Amino acid sequence: MDFELSEEQRLIIDNVRRFIREEIRPLEADLDPDAYRLKPEDEARLEAMTNEMGLFQMDVPQEYGGPGVDTVTRTLIAEELSQHRAGLYAPAYGVFGSGPQGQLYNATESQKENYLWPTIRGEKHGFFGLSEPSGGSDPARAIQTRGVRDGDEWVINGGKLWNSGADTADYGIVYVRTDPTKGRQGITAFIVDTDTPGFRVNRLVQVLRSHYTTELSFSDMRVPHENILGEEGGGFALANDYLARNRIPYSAAGIGVAVYAHEIAIEWAKQRVTFGEPLASRQAIQWMLVDNEIDIRTARWACLAAADKAEKGLPFRFESSMAKLISTEGAGRVVDRCMQIMGGLGMSKDLPMERWYRELRIRRIGEGPSEVQRIVMARDLLNIGSGSR
Amino acid sequence: MRIRKPWTAWDDALDWKQLPGAMGVYELADADQRTLYIGKASGTSPFGLRGELCRHFTTAEALAGANWTHPRMGEDLPSIKGKARFYRYEVNHNYYSRWIEVLTRYREDHETLPPGNLEDPEQPPPLGRYHWKSEDAARGL
Ligand SMILES: Cc1cc2nc3c(=O)[nH]c(=O)nc-3n(C[C@H](O)[C@H](O)[C@H](O)COP(=O)(O)OP(=O)(O)OC[C@H]3O[C@@H](n4cnc5c(N)ncnc54)[C@H](O)[C@@H]3O)c2cc1C
Repeated sequence: MDFELSEEQRLIIDNVRRFIREEIRPLEADLDPDAYRLKPEDEARLEAMTNEMGLFQMDVPQEYGGPGVDTVTRTLIAEELSQHRAGLYAPAYGVFGSGPQGQLYNATESQKENYLWPTIRGEKHGFFGLSEPSGGSDPARAIQTRGVRDGDEWVINGGKLWNSGADTADYGIVYVRTDPTKGRQGITAFIVDTDTPGFRVNRLVQVLRSHYTTELSFSDMRVPHENILGEEGGGFALANDYLARNRIPYSAAGIGVAVYAHEIAIEWAKQRVTFGEPLASRQAIQWMLVDNEIDIRTARWACLAAADKAEKGLPFRFESSMAKLISTEGAGRVVDRCMQIMGGLGMSKDLPMERWYRELRIRRIGEGPSEVQRIVMARDLLNIGSGSR
Repeated sequence: MRIRKPWTAWDDALDWKQLPGAMGVYELADADQRTLYIGKASGTSPFGLRGELCRHFTTAEALAGANWTHPRMGEDLPSIKGKARFYRYEVNHNYYSRWIEVLTRYREDHETLPPGNLEDPEQPPPLGRYHWKSEDAARGL
């Protein structure tokens, strides 16, 4: 594996870096410290720019009109995109476009017409409905939402928890137990319109970050059979290549935040004088900075190694889990050390660090908690399956 | 510091999805843009700022098509009900301390709390003093 960037990659990275520093960061001075959207006029202006850069909707595959960015370059871009206050969960405030959930590329032609294409065009938004109050780490066993077939429809009862964006979404991909005798093979994915009678948002569930999740209930919600995504009982088979691939840039976003925090802390350590000397001259501080650099580089290499394997079509499940684990945990440590170096300023809302600290904590749970990543890796190491039930 | 954003007139045709479901603080004003109430969407507000603003300005029926409702939709304190015309808000994870700050700022300028807050069953903790009046107070706002 060659870590040297190609000329084209270097150009793209330089462009994105300049865009974040010159277009995004200055706008944040006028936004709420916890904001995750730009003003609509700024959003439109910047989207036009990313279109011009040829990077709008970069997660959409080329055959669906996307610019066709390879996984390694996408990973490098992700590290740049998150280098601003809102960057971890709202990289560049979404002005590079937010593609549909990967499972939708497996949809039927009529489902693509109704959901995939409108999502790519930005006319519709979807949510991901997997986790339930009964548990999210092991959904195959935990899902209790039940679907019973009635002619050409399914009657769905139950509920979901933690679904980001379900309150404003037009539809969701909802995982339902359609055959309780079949364990993992008894889960089916449905595309559910959020205006379906029986679909209810019970409440918004606030968490550490300013963006919230939802609690949903489904009461006798009737969904057409044709809204099954993929095969009946094949809900988990949909957790395909696209999903595991997305985990790599997701991991790289954490590195970006760590890089920016580290830069701020280095500058501060050089300037701040205590007891007659700059902080940077103290070994205690130097070691924190070196440990930051080690965490950042380890995470970057892990992400690029995973991206490289994915791009070459080699198995990369182990590597993508490792990248997720190393980057989320490492970035959390980096931001924590940077806050220590900044002193009181590190705790304040004048700087972005307190926001990253809260958000990075969530990253160790979302998209598969650290323990689940370890379980995935252990299965590979020990050559054991996930069990059928 | 008060909420620095300009006032927005409530519009019944507003798409409620445009209002954030996040935590934060908000301010309601009458037709003359005089503050009626300084509120917060707390960690336990069932629909964040969106829910709090909608419950003051609209009813469950008017939100037809919404797949949610606030348990106190359409109820309000006497000094707010039917009088609120404008709002502004700030998404803020530290909504509690920010709420106290905005109330303190208001009391500094006006020697009292907004009418809605005087009636509100939820009273803030003892407020501090800044010992200076803002430009707004000088302009009678
Ligand atoms: C902000 C946020 C946004 C989210 N967005 C979505 C969303 O959009 N859609 C969606 O479907 N879900 C979403 N989730 C849910 C998320 O995926 C789950 O919280 C996560 O999968 C963990 O599930 P759980 O909370 O039920 O914890 P549990 O499954 O109950 O696990 C609890 C803890 O035990 C650990 N654990 C579990 N099994 C083992 C084991 N065998 N050995 C050791 N440790 C173990 C877990 O790692 C975890 O730390 C979101 C969560 C958050 C916090």
